[in-house]
Amino acid sequence: MRGEKLGPCMVGLALLLAACGTSSTGNSPTSGSTLVFGAAVSLTGAQSKEGGLTKQGYDLWLDWINQRGGIVVNNVKHPVQIKYEDDQSDPNVSATLVQKLITSEKAQFILGPYGSAATATDAIIVERDGIPMVEANGAAQSIFNHGYKFTFGVLSPANKYLTGVLDMAATLSPKPTTIVMLSANDNFSLEVAKAVADYAPSKGMQVLVTKQYPAAALDVSSLVSQAKALNPDIVMNSGHLAEAININKAAKQLGLNAKIFAYSVGPSTPDFISALGPDANFVFDGSQWTPQVKYKPTFYLSVSDYVKAYEAKYNSSQPPDYHVAESTAACLAFQKAIENAGSLDPTKVRDALASLDVMTFFGQIKFDSRGINTFKPMVVEQIQSGTHYTVFPTDIANGRPQYPTPPWSSR
Amino acid sequence: MSQFTQQIILGLLLGGIYVAVALGFSLVWGILNIVNLAHGALVIVGAYITWLLFDRLHVDPFLSLPVDALALFVLGYALQRGVINRVIRAPLLFTFLLTFGINLVIVSLVLLIFTADFRSVTPSYSGNGLHLGSVTIPYIRLGGLAVALLLAGILWAILNRTRIGAAILAVGADRDAAQLVGIDLRHIYALTFAIGAAFAGVAGGIISTSQSITPTAGDPYTLQSFAVVILGGLGRVSATVVGGLAFGLIEVLGQSAPGLGSGYAGAIAFVVLVIVLVVRPRGLLGRLA
Repeated sequence: MRGEKLGPCMVGLALLLAACGTSSTGNSPTSGSTLVFGAAVSLTGAQSKEGGLTKQGYDLWLDWINQRGGIVVNNVKHPVQIKYEDDQSDPNVSATLVQKLITSEKAQFILGPYGSAATATDAIIVERDGIPMVEANGAAQSIFNHGYKFTFGVLSPANKYLTGVLDMAATLSPKPTTIVMLSANDNFSLEVAKAVADYAPSKGMQVLVTKQYPAAALDVSSLVSQAKALNPDIVMNSGHLAEAININKAAKQLGLNAKIFAYSVGPSTPDFISALGPDANFVFDGSQWTPQVKYKPTFYLSVSDYVKAYEAKYNSSQPPDYHVAESTAACLAFQKAIENAGSLDPTKVRDALASLDVMTFFGQIKFDSRGINTFKPMVVEQIQSGTHYTVFPTDIANGRPQYPTPPWSSR
Repeated sequence: MSQFTQQIILGLLLGGIYVAVALGFSLVWGILNIVNLAHGALVIVGAYITWLLFDRLHVDPFLSLPVDALALFVLGYALQRGVINRVIRAPLLFTFLLTFGINLVIVSLVLLIFTADFRSVTPSYSGNGLHLGSVTIPYIRLGGLAVALLLAGILWAILNRTRIGAAILAVGADRDAAQLVGIDLRHIYALTFAIGAAFAGVAGGIISTSQSITPTAGDPYTLQSFAVVILGGLGRVSATVVGGLAFGLIEVLGQSAPGLGSGYAGAIAFVVLVIVLVVRPRGLLGRLA
């Protein structure tokens, strides 16, 4: 008796399920489980400013992908959640938090922290647990020289910071050939300076001398006068904002006239222009990305739509800086790799990352065998009449290099 | 050879800044027996006043130096009379703690008012200089050295040619005896500290023309003042002048020493300092204690 009654019920249930199935297969994908990303960024402490920018970049993509229902894997849409932890700007805390994100928060994928130091400690954790990490804010090559398989960086490594300026200089006429490099003696700055010395001969240029100074040096007039005695075509500084300003001031005071002044860090900040006024003009710098670049992305937003989306979401009158852009780019790399893998399996996603090659608003994302993006060029900016212009590579630039820099006396 | 001459000149010009910074530090140390850890913060306050006047009202940085001096004189007098005087006879550690705290407060206030952005004073003539062959002497740095030597002259004149100066020296020599002969101790203390602060302010004004400034940029100047006073010796204006110029020369020549990266310049300067301390503990020109 019972069986006879149950029979029709089962048939009805089966029909119902089938109906549901039909309605949601076909062209539009079904909704799947939520994907959990983990990120330990600096929300307090010395790097809270940069950590906050990193989070902005991640959140910008998070809104966009969830408006579309999530990442599509084998025709199933997986909504995305990012679990944040605050590493208090301490690399060791960062590693502990990444471990916590993986084990107790069940994060399936890790987005990188802010800074080379924290990235280096986090890389050890993800490597051991076999969880892929895409990072956007650790440029030191030392992170990628350990043979790690699960850490990928979307940004150009430190050695590319000023080589873009050499590429640009090689296209100018009359071509500059001699370089004096003034470098701070910290690891990152020395990596940048060494790369210039190694790369210059391939462009028919020569670094006459690399002068080191202690980081945060107060007086650089002696170094600048030594540079002047060599009469170089290009004066380069691999250092920090304070020294970039001091070198520029001393160059004017001592009448050091070069055809190109290029500083690794400093000129891209508004401070450089406000502190130096007209003296900031003609100075070049290398940047990961600028809001003026003209890449033609194959997915996500165009550069101008990205800038608009940022200004709308954060109610900002300033366009996003490169920290925000590269952080969003890390999310895009994950999205594309997961889609390409057609799987949520960490190892398959890792393999898809290794073979990834996409064009985004941030530029090409493709990793070399070490896992760092050596394919995207650094952008060269120049300050012209108090405004930043992107001047190289030519195909993405919105301005032309003003060259040669006129002598101080006729500026 | 001309390169060597250029380095010597740059060393003396840099030394001028050290002289200006260290004069006030040396005075306060010598008379009040206070190693003023807030000295660098006072220098930066002066630098910001010059920057503010230049940025908002386009006042020439050298013309704003008297304003720096006056403002810092008032601030210094109030600080000494209101705060530091309370620990003037306490053990050295207390004055260290107090001036360290004052340093933090001033730096934080400057940070609140001016933010951490880098500032710089760049007048139109900052690229002009005297050209002697291949040697360049920037006028703006030459002006800095001239002001430093003028300050030293003023301080010497105050101490040796005025009644106030005599009172200051008397307090420095023996405060109890000075009080016995009718010197108002609190007033002289505050006046001495105020003069020290005023000189720090002027030094800050000079610094803003050749270097970038932030609220935290003052700390190295406290350290350098300390080194200059040790090198030159305590208790004489001329000792501070010699110490400052010598320190500037050593640093610049260290930067250009062949075969050595200038990363060692600081180390060379402090090695010289240690040698002076071993060979001549009272400094190059210091008086015997």
